[in-house]
Amino acid sequence: MKAKLTPVVLVLAIVAFAGLAFAHHGSASYSMQPTTFKNVTVTKVNWGNPHTLLMFDVKDDKGNLQHWVSEANAASAISASGWTKTAIKPGDTLSVVLYAAKNGQTVGRVGKVVLSDGREFGDGSLIGDRPSECDQDFTTGGNESAACRPGGRITNNLEKK
Amino acid sequence: MGERSSKTFQFCAVIIATAALLALPRTSSAQNAPSANTNPRVTLQPGSDAARQRGAQAAPEKPSAPAPPRDLSGMWTGPGEALLSNRIPPMTPAGKAKLDANIPDPFSASSNDPWKTCDPFGMPRSVNNQSGQLGFAQMPGRIIIMSGFSRTWREVWMDGRKPPKNIGHEDGPSGMYNGYSVGHWEGDNTLVVETVGMDEKTWMDRRGYPHSVDAKVTERYTRTDYDHLSMTETVDDPAYYTQPSFILAKLDYSFVRNQEDKNAPIPFTNETLCIPSQATEYLNMMSAPADIDSATGQKKK
Repeated sequence: MKAKLTPVVLVLAIVAFAGLAFAHHGSASYSMQPTTFKNVTVTKVNWGNPHTLLMFDVKDDKGNLQHWVSEANAASAISASGWTKTAIKPGDTLSVVLYAAKNGQTVGRVGKVVLSDGREFGDGSLIGDRPSECDQDFTTGGNESAACRPGGRITNNLEKK
Repeated sequence: MGERSSKTFQFCAVIIATAALLALPRTSSAQNAPSANTNPRVTLQPGSDAARQRGAQAAPEKPSAPAPPRDLSGMWTGPGEALLSNRIPPMTPAGKAKLDANIPDPFSASSNDPWKTCDPFGMPRSVNNQSGQLGFAQMPGRIIIMSGFSRTWREVWMDGRKPPKNIGHEDGPSGMYNGYSVGHWEGDNTLVVETVGMDEKTWMDRRGYPHSVDAKVTERYTRTDYDHLSMTETVDDPAYYTQPSFILAKLDYSFVRNQEDKNAPIPFTNETLCIPSQATEYLNMMSAPADIDSATGQKKK
């Protein structure tokens, strides 16, 4: 019975960390439409907190090299999908589905990373895009809760005042 | 079935029921999310902690073993963030001025959230922000409360002593980030922790609600049975709030049962630390160019 316990404990751990990590983000500065970049070259990975940064180079339509900085979730959260500190290294070629900044800067939020061996990290969705719940007695303690205070601010695409 | 096996079975049943519930399609609040997903694990991620907590409470659980009397020892896990009350009472002019000065959203340039630079949360914020990993260590005369986030701890005196008077004023000791905490048991299953003397620099929560140095914060931890612990955090701060006592936050925890099984994986192997150098790098490389202040019309001209 102990051996059978392990998977459910992992489920519990994933649930705990998912709640923990996704509470950070505001998403209002990112497009809700994903962009897919195929065969990009990884230049650097900043594994850590508050969120892991994946930097890569890709050529645009005119052949110009673009340097992108993309943000994945906290190390504690993305490790649940199998992404470890050494799973992606500079020089690796992979595909990235990301939500680019609305202002045209070459930064974005990672929805999903697809490695050359087919492994995928992330579920493809825009992290942190969830509505505030100001009309209820209690609100989630996520970043969007700031919208509920007097003079509160919008931090997500999905928030309502 | 022996007692230990029975407990293990009950634990499995609770976890499986909870996991099954969480794997259901997204709640209505999350159905507008841009991509539908059929992977039960990832459907959890954009969902609401509030819905999750409500759902978990509604799960048809088998009864747990009784709570041991006056004992919270061990590690507990819950949603990463507490539920925050939307019924904060009206504020005094002094309180409102402080609220207006506290600008939330640590990843925006305009925010002055102390979290942005990894300043300690202190009290009462450490109880409701990034508070999904909780631990209690009971010692002679005191209980140590540990938070998994940034691996911090604070002490609660249980020997009947009183906190100093006039903390933060000219005739008293200085306020501290975690304040001065004393506790007592109500019945056999509720630990009541009262904290005063909290440095005014700490925010009450991530929304930026302030507190005065004369605030009193009360945490009530009720172990309803062996596996479950309910926390409520209330605030008395007449200098800033017009209602004498109000609930700020609540959070339900489950006992980390695999800490009693040497063959189980070690819980909490991922560190959740706020690291100033990484936070600064993140702000410069990601937050600044993405510019949420402009995207939300909050850019200072």
